[in-house]
Amino acid sequence: MDINLKVKKNLQIRAFYLFFIIASIQLGVGIIGAPKLIYLESLQDSWISILIAFIYIVAVVITMFFILNQYENADIYGIQVDIFGKWIGKFLGTIYIVHFGIALLSVLITYIEVIRVYIFPMMSNFVMGFLLLCLVVYGVLGGLRVIVGVCTVFFLLSHWIVFLLIQPSTRMDITHLQPMFVSPISDLLSGAHISAYTFMGFEILFLVYPFIQNKKKAKLPALLATGWTTLFLLLITIITIGYFSYQQIERREWVLLSLIKVQNFTFVERFDYIVVAEWMMIIVPNMLLLMWGITYGMKRLYKVPQKVTLYSVAVIMSFACIYFDEHYRIQSTIDASANYGFWLVYVYPFLLLPIVLIKKKWIKKKEEKSNAK
Amino acid sequence: MKKTFTSKKGNIFPLKIDELDKILKARFETNPDLSFTTYEKNNKKIAVFFIAYQVESEKIDNFLLEPILMKNIEWTNHSILNEIPLNGGKKVETLEDILKDILIGAVFIYIEGEDSIIAYLLSKKEKRSLQQSETESLVLGPKIGFTESMVTNLNIVRWTIRSEDLVLEQYLIGKREPREVRLIYMKSIANEVDVNTMRQRLQELEIDVIDDASVLMQYIEDSSITIFPQFLTTELPDRFSYNINRGRLGILVENSPTAIITPTTFFSFFESTEDLYMRWNIGTFLRGLRYLSFFMSTFLTPLYVAAVTFHYEIIPTPLLINLGESRSSVPFPPILEALFLELMIELLRESGARLPTKVGQTIGIVGGVVVGTAAVEAGITSNVLIIFVALSALASFTTPNYLMGTTARIIRFPMILLGGFLGLIGIMFGACFLIIHLLRLTSLGRPYLSPLYPLVPKDFNKVLFRLPNEYQNERFRSYRPKDLIRFGKKKAKNKKDIDE
Repeated sequence: MDINLKVKKNLQIRAFYLFFIIASIQLGVGIIGAPKLIYLESLQDSWISILIAFIYIVAVVITMFFILNQYENADIYGIQVDIFGKWIGKFLGTIYIVHFGIALLSVLITYIEVIRVYIFPMMSNFVMGFLLLCLVVYGVLGGLRVIVGVCTVFFLLSHWIVFLLIQPSTRMDITHLQPMFVSPISDLLSGAHISAYTFMGFEILFLVYPFIQNKKKAKLPALLATGWTTLFLLLITIITIGYFSYQQIERREWVLLSLIKVQNFTFVERFDYIVVAEWMMIIVPNMLLLMWGITYGMKRLYKVPQKVTLYSVAVIMSFACIYFDEHYRIQSTIDASANYGFWLVYVYPFLLLPIVLIKKKWIKKKEEKSNAK
Repeated sequence: MKKTFTSKKGNIFPLKIDELDKILKARFETNPDLSFTTYEKNNKKIAVFFIAYQVESEKIDNFLLEPILMKNIEWTNHSILNEIPLNGGKKVETLEDILKDILIGAVFIYIEGEDSIIAYLLSKKEKRSLQQSETESLVLGPKIGFTESMVTNLNIVRWTIRSEDLVLEQYLIGKREPREVRLIYMKSIANEVDVNTMRQRLQELEIDVIDDASVLMQYIEDSSITIFPQFLTTELPDRFSYNINRGRLGILVENSPTAIITPTTFFSFFESTEDLYMRWNIGTFLRGLRYLSFFMSTFLTPLYVAAVTFHYEIIPTPLLINLGESRSSVPFPPILEALFLELMIELLRESGARLPTKVGQTIGIVGGVVVGTAAVEAGITSNVLIIFVALSALASFTTPNYLMGTTARIIRFPMILLGGFLGLIGIMFGACFLIIHLLRLTSLGRPYLSPLYPLVPKDFNKVLFRLPNEYQNERFRSYRPKDLIRFGKKKAKNKKDIDE
């Protein structure tokens, strides 16, 4: 297995697309329910939790860049094999693939659940999952460039949702956010920990990095993207806290949709229906990138053709949808994805960095020695 | 048979005139129009042959036969070529060349004993006069349209683009019936990779006959499965020259009034040269209107069907009462109702296109007004839906390109089905699928959805809206022209305060 990748020129993407890639994979189903979960932990100081999470994420992203820059043009699959050897490296790579798989499943079934709760209570999970996976298969068949295109276009086409928050924001009660700074540090930290699931996804950077044309400019768009999602979550959380009371938030599963319901015009009401449908444009890039991560990982680690993995994962997923039709099963999948992902995404890079640095130094010393001889 | 001349290549001359006559008669057995005449003078024989209606017989009589027979011209190839007052005379040697030229109106003179034959191209071609294009019409700007004659079209192109940079490469495509195809571009602007790709596609095309430019287009397009046209077609020379001047490639085909323009993006189908002739702000409005109407013609009826079938909560109560009243007497589900009306509109359009103009208008009135009103009164459809269907049909005709308008109308049908079965989710699924599909398409290898993806914000002012002309000093970056700058930017004006 090659550690460094040679990417053809027509497959490369410019660095600023990293903004769209990371922003669209971070914004997903999590953000619909995240404000409530964070609020239950750190109450009116939720915004501090989100900022803490943001600072932590910036640190993680910079660490990831450090690791990646130690190599010429490598992705995480190659780096792990280089450092831990063939067997452990491939095992760790497989953990990444499984992580993407669980994340994909959790996104898929959560969205189907939202549709079933809001629009079609009798909708079959299989049909809905099949339709969504059709889109995913069709998109992934186009390759990374098309996936990035989907991210970009859907990002531009879905952000009008922000304007639906104007009406609720004018009816906010600012006293809900007061008094400030009352939650203890432990609550703030657990609030930040809760928001980890929503913010997850930027680990895709480990995979797409070799495809970037001008790597020197890659840091800014990546950090801007995390900043954008943080801003988005911050806005929603503050408006939620200002608009609803504690009891109201506690009773609702997806506060963002309840919030959007407020907006109405003379020709259209109940924007929550439209937003649930529109949310597909936010989900699809998410699933495309995760699916691409799986297929690409299988190709890198086990030399399985991407098409084979794509079709088989799609079939498995659409049948898995049938099983995940009860709320507690879905919730346990999300929890599993969040817990498992937390260690992989937020902790593992910090462990990997010193090992990479030590190995690089060791190799350098070895080379110097051999040169001296 | 002594010899088989038919398969023989190379020079068949010299031979006896009788033999020549036999060969030609054998080839033109079923063709009674070959005129083969032999003249004799001073013991020398001369044969003149051509296809009667393909040539200008007056010219033959006055400038060819008269000098040869009346004047004292020595009957040799050399002196005839020298002294006959006609241009374009040439010597031909092989049977293949004779057969090729005689079909396009050549006159041949053979002097017995010479080792080659003289040909004059005196073709007569019936053609219609220049007219306004019927499929594309403009309010402002030049009205002239291309015709079926290649010579006329080339003439128009040369007059509209009077530049030495203009290249008109010639290709003969079609094995059984070769037709002239011209690849036209500006040498100093057009992207070389594009030119090479196009050349290769034209050269490698193996086909017996190309029926029309639109057929050629389908053979050389990037994807043949998709419903979206990837090359632009136009009958307007001004649209053609506008695109050539911006660095795109054009293709003209003999016997076709349609010109092909490539590479294109999805958005170039909504560009009209009229946007340029109007002021920039009005141009922006018109272009926005066209995008809106594409959206409307694709999604309006499906959204109505979805909302009425599944999501009546979306519609505010006062509006819902109106809708309910109009739908109260309709026995069908909305999806059937919508499909029925859409089908009716398509029938009207198709019959209007096939019938002569005068009858077509009558049919339009009968179909639109009479059947529409009757359908509502009979309680088959609701009048609100008629408004939506008529609006979306109207909207589809605002697209400056007929192909794209048709595409928009066809996409509507699967969308209605999706909206009727899966509501808003179905429509969203359709929209997502459509966008992913557009992202996967290319035109001559260039991304179809550029400048939206790859994101080129500097091209937005040519595609999505327009800016005052002094800011339009660059060509499309998406097509990577050789020369990006159209003209130098004006110097920034000194900022002046009021009353200075």
